Amino acid sequence: MKGIRKIAVLGLATLLAFLLAACSGSDDGDTNDASGEKGEITLDFWTFGATGYEELAKEYEKENPNIKIKVKSSETADHHDALFTSLSAGSGAPDIAMLEIDQFDRFKVAQDRFENLYNLGANDVKDQYLEWKWQSGENVDGDFLFGLPTDIGPKALYYRTDLFEQAGLPTDPEEVAALIDSPEAFEEVGLQVTEETGMPFVDSIEMAFRAYLDAAETAYLTPENELNLGGDSEVKKAYDYAVHLNDLGLVGKYEMWSPEWANAVNKGEFAAELGAGWLKGWMEGNAPEAVGKWNVATLPTEFAANWGGSYIAVPSETEYAQEAYDFIEWLVSSENQLKSFQSHGLFPSAQAVYEEEAFKTNEDEFFGGQATAPVFAEAAQDITGIGYKGEKYFPVHNEILNALKNVQNKGADPEKEWDAAVKRAEDLMKR
Amino acid sequence: MNSIRKKEPIFKKKRFRSEEKKDMISGYLYIAPFFIIFTLIGLYPALFSFYLAFQKWNGLSPMTFNGFGNFQLVLTDPLFWKSVYNTIIMGVMGTAPQLIVGLILAYLLNMAFLKFKSFFRVTIFMPYLTSMVAVALIFSVLFSNHESSLANYVLTHLFGLDPISWAASEWGTKIAISLMVFWRWVGYNTIIYLAGIQSIPNDLYEAATVDGANKFQQLWYITIPMMKPFIILTVFTSTVGAMQLFSEPTVFLGADAFTRDEAMTIVMYLYRDAFRLQSFGTASATAIILLVIITLFAVINLRLVQGFGRKKRGVQK
Repeated sequence: MKGIRKIAVLGLATLLAFLLAACSGSDDGDTNDASGEKGEITLDFWTFGATGYEELAKEYEKENPNIKIKVKSSETADHHDALFTSLSAGSGAPDIAMLEIDQFDRFKVAQDRFENLYNLGANDVKDQYLEWKWQSGENVDGDFLFGLPTDIGPKALYYRTDLFEQAGLPTDPEEVAALIDSPEAFEEVGLQVTEETGMPFVDSIEMAFRAYLDAAETAYLTPENELNLGGDSEVKKAYDYAVHLNDLGLVGKYEMWSPEWANAVNKGEFAAELGAGWLKGWMEGNAPEAVGKWNVATLPTEFAANWGGSYIAVPSETEYAQEAYDFIEWLVSSENQLKSFQSHGLFPSAQAVYEEEAFKTNEDEFFGGQATAPVFAEAAQDITGIGYKGEKYFPVHNEILNALKNVQNKGADPEKEWDAAVKRAEDLMKR
Repeated sequence: MNSIRKKEPIFKKKRFRSEEKKDMISGYLYIAPFFIIFTLIGLYPALFSFYLAFQKWNGLSPMTFNGFGNFQLVLTDPLFWKSVYNTIIMGVMGTAPQLIVGLILAYLLNMAFLKFKSFFRVTIFMPYLTSMVAVALIFSVLFSNHESSLANYVLTHLFGLDPISWAASEWGTKIAISLMVFWRWVGYNTIIYLAGIQSIPNDLYEAATVDGANKFQQLWYITIPMMKPFIILTVFTSTVGAMQLFSEPTVFLGADAFTRDEAMTIVMYLYRDAFRLQSFGTASATAIILLVIITLFAVINLRLVQGFGRKKRGVQK
């Protein structure tokens, strides 16, 4: 009898242990319990993409011997999905997490899952960063700060000097910027290039659309989370402009990141790209035949916008909010932003960096020796604000984009396509 | 209970405890791991999903009760019906030929005069062992939109037809994905059929040969009727598999998978709701609708196959 009971108890205990292990498995990654050395704090830091934060973290560890930072870097989508899941489950989130600006809004609905950085001393560093960048790290009311700014993606005009020359246009960045000083001038230059060279001016209808869209104060959604797609909305203006450029034959069919697009960048099969600062890094690595053939000029202020960039936030699950904050404040300080810029091309959001000699004179071999950093810095300062994006920005964006692609590829009626896309967007919003 | 127990002799009660109960406990312990794991990763999510189907939830904010609103949203969404249509069309194009070809291949593989039998059996089964992602990636290269892709090259140079944009046209996408499903699964069904054919006693064929039946008659009147249980099994699994088609189109279409509707299946629609639109309520409602559809198809299938077997037997008489 006793033997059986023993076996039964043992068995149940094993099962229970198994169950508990299964339930708390996600916690194993957190070594916050500091079971190791006395007073040592381990901070888990989740990043994505190539940031070089690993090296900076080591530097910080040297200065602060009681802090250990475990950096885990993953692919962009995986990173945000994993973070979303752990925040949703309420366990397993890191102490520090990087958030991409386009993914940010789906996390902002969960204000209670993050630390308010204003409570940890963020007010003192506010002035160091571009105002618009800082603001979109806040909640709508402006009293809660989710994350400190890292890099930004100011948009500029990348143009092929060989095609511009062939079209009888100036190629010097300053002259080009002076020539293309309005959306109308953009169109006229486009017409001239296409007429003279036979190449499309912009690569894709998406980029033509994003010209106005990225600069819009209110894009698809209002801060009250309602669709803003009326006849006089900024999105409709962007849509009409893209359709108009397409009617004029200025728009190519090279979808960004496709092999055909990469080939076209390399060979110069379109003349202009409205790209953010980070596109430079891609070009340097992937367009070997185009060395010296692209230059960068500022865009007309109507098109001045930001595309991409990140923040670093502190999920409230952490036990060491202050230590985590101190680390990120150090990590995104202007000195370290300059380091990240030099090593990994992360464009700084701290204005002080723009005045640094090392930043201003950073010549780019790829762009034929042009120092492009000041162009992007100027573009960054032209931006007046970032439009509110909202949780369902991308699903709605895809619907409108599909409409534009149907217009371009199937010759569909733009107004009908617009109405159908708006209808589908309305359906999406009900979910 | 008490009154019954009192009537039983004491020694019997003891025996029951010491031996049968011992067996019982160890029995339960042996099967417990399955039930615990099943409860955690099978039953609990299923029940939770049922609960979610009536809630509005974005994964982070608190849930709100939505009644049948989610079902209404899904059932009135034209994209949902498009996904049902796509799933059925690709299911028919991808699996129906599979079963017929599988049966023929199994019959051929079992022929007495065939040389290198094991070689053919292994080769036919190989696609099933290949990684799904690798298959989809290779097919997406073979069937790319580009005019010089292999599929378009064959079309234009051998048949003199116009090139097709395989990843963006209504039928091109469906054909490419159905072909991929067919190629990957036909070997699996062939092996099941082969096992079935080998289980048919040889005397039936001997008797038929004596009676003067030719090979085709033997296939039609002996092999197929005797294979009924195997056919039911494959039809059943293939139908359920076809209804849950997901990875093939997703990998094949890559970045466009959840923005275009040409090859969006029901499960992709569900996935899009949950992980692209952060709408776990409607995604769960879709899952329940899918459950109903699969059950419906399974019942229809079973009826059809059973009817077909009965008729064959009638003819035989």
